[in-house]
Amino acid sequence: MDRHIRWLLVSPAVLIIVALTIFPLAFSVWVSFVQFDFSVSEKHPWVGLDNFKQTWQDPVWVHSLVVTAVLATLSVAVELALGFLLALAMLRPFRGRRGLMVLFVIPLFISPVIAGGFFDLFLRRPFGPMNWLLTHLLGHPVTIDFTIDGRWPFFSLILADAWQWTPFVFVILLAGLSAIPDELYEAAEIDGARPRQSFFFVTLPLLTPIILIAVTFRFIDATKLFDIIYSLTRGGPGTETYTSSYYLYQQGFEFFHLGQGTAGAWMFTIMLTFVSFWLIRRLLKPVEE
Amino acid sequence: MAVDVSRLRRRATPRHGKVRVVRGRKFRPGTLFRWLFILLYLGFLVLPLYWVAITSIKPQEDLLVDPPIWWPSHPTSLHYSTALNAFRGWDGLRNSLIIAFSTTALALLIGTPAAYSMARFRTGGKHLAFWFLSQRIMPPVAIIIPVFLLYARYTEEWFGFSLVDTKVGLILLYTVFALPFTVWMMFAYFRQMPAELEEAALVDGCSRLQALWRIAAPLAAPGLVSAGAFAFILSWTEFLFAQVLSRTNAVTLPVALAGIITGFQGNQYGEASALTMVSLIPALLLGILIQRHLVRGLTLGAVQG
Repeated sequence: MDRHIRWLLVSPAVLIIVALTIFPLAFSVWVSFVQFDFSVSEKHPWVGLDNFKQTWQDPVWVHSLVVTAVLATLSVAVELALGFLLALAMLRPFRGRRGLMVLFVIPLFISPVIAGGFFDLFLRRPFGPMNWLLTHLLGHPVTIDFTIDGRWPFFSLILADAWQWTPFVFVILLAGLSAIPDELYEAAEIDGARPRQSFFFVTLPLLTPIILIAVTFRFIDATKLFDIIYSLTRGGPGTETYTSSYYLYQQGFEFFHLGQGTAGAWMFTIMLTFVSFWLIRRLLKPVEE
Repeated sequence: MAVDVSRLRRRATPRHGKVRVVRGRKFRPGTLFRWLFILLYLGFLVLPLYWVAITSIKPQEDLLVDPPIWWPSHPTSLHYSTALNAFRGWDGLRNSLIIAFSTTALALLIGTPAAYSMARFRTGGKHLAFWFLSQRIMPPVAIIIPVFLLYARYTEEWFGFSLVDTKVGLILLYTVFALPFTVWMMFAYFRQMPAELEEAALVDGCSRLQALWRIAAPLAAPGLVSAGAFAFILSWTEFLFAQVLSRTNAVTLPVALAGIITGFQGNQYGEASALTMVSLIPALLLGILIQRHLVRGLTLGAVQG
């Protein structure tokens, strides 16, 4: 009896996932090999690898891959640094800690497209307060256009991403830190360890698996950056801050080059899968042992 | 992969944390530095939030001024009524609520039995569990192009209805994206729950389904609440799918908001801020509710906070 029921119980979940991700993906294999352009015609002539070639020859696409990798790496690095420091600072109980915790995790519950909107409003020149704040802090006039000038658009995106996702790293590391048994610190102290030594020889090694989990999860998500781009820089100036997800969205739903968009999406998915599995294998290995 | 830190903690740290204080003194950087960092981070966190809140009640003439105005002399609620009535705010709010609640219910209804079966019968073993997990790696943009084509063209040809711009279409898609969370969180929950009560019920003549519905599910209520909250937040904050798949009937709050931000009517900062404030309320309530289960949810049960 149970033998049938066990499969019956998992089947709805499996079926809906197959219907809405596996089947569409299989269908999109076909789309990536034909000319699928809403504006042209109802027919979809076979074009072989043309969609892949065209996408790959587009310098914006190649650029977007670099932007995706750079932004993901820098954002996660910033989030790890801030989250770790914050977790260390919040480890010891103090009055008002509970309230602060609630405040600190707020960004996790906000739609990323809205968080991007926050920073658009905050950084905008000349009405946003960022330039005003910098002018008063530095003592000389600052007039930076944070979504246009030089490398500042990247800075703005990392700032917004860090604002939203530092709490993610923070709560995970805090859980890890508070789980380290106190006996270990006592033992280290009895052996004559100084505070710095017990940090490097007790805290860090024990926390490494947790750090790796946080970084892996965060990095996999960071490579899909889309919403914040959409509301903060819109890929600009020009195509300077196109991430791969943003590029593919444009191809598919603004130009309706669905064939090329799908071909690009496949290349992106395959790359992401490799990176993700490599990360999960490599980084989580010490955890399994 | 699972690191059960809670077990370590249970053994090591007394609840009231006296030892923690002692330990804190051992290696933590100076108190001054610590508070400075907390304050700086608090500023970084609160300033953008404050700016949106204050922009939402500024009268129009205070919006585009340099130097910026930190506190309006004549606060107004005008932007709220404009945003809600003239910029599809109410529609967005209603649709977002309907879609998020339906997704939550559906994901729990489908995900819980699957998780139960995997936990109690080891259905599919490691492979099925990792198959669910691997759904999270998929970039949404790779799914949305074929799904859009299927919704726009082929469901019409095959079944006689289009799923574009329908709430059902979005609910189904969101459920699929919430399922890895629901299944993994409930899987972890059922595994650490003793099976004896259900076995007793089976001996007394319950069927397996009754045992799940009457015994296991009520016992797993705290797990259901946090898994449900995650599904809710996921669909409440989603943007890409909704942006592509909605026109008028299924516009969600983030889509309505993006419409104001990038709209043609010039930049409606006041309205955008007001709608932002509205969209924060349910998210904050839920955030406070699931505070304790946050870590487990974020890592799909890999770290037990």
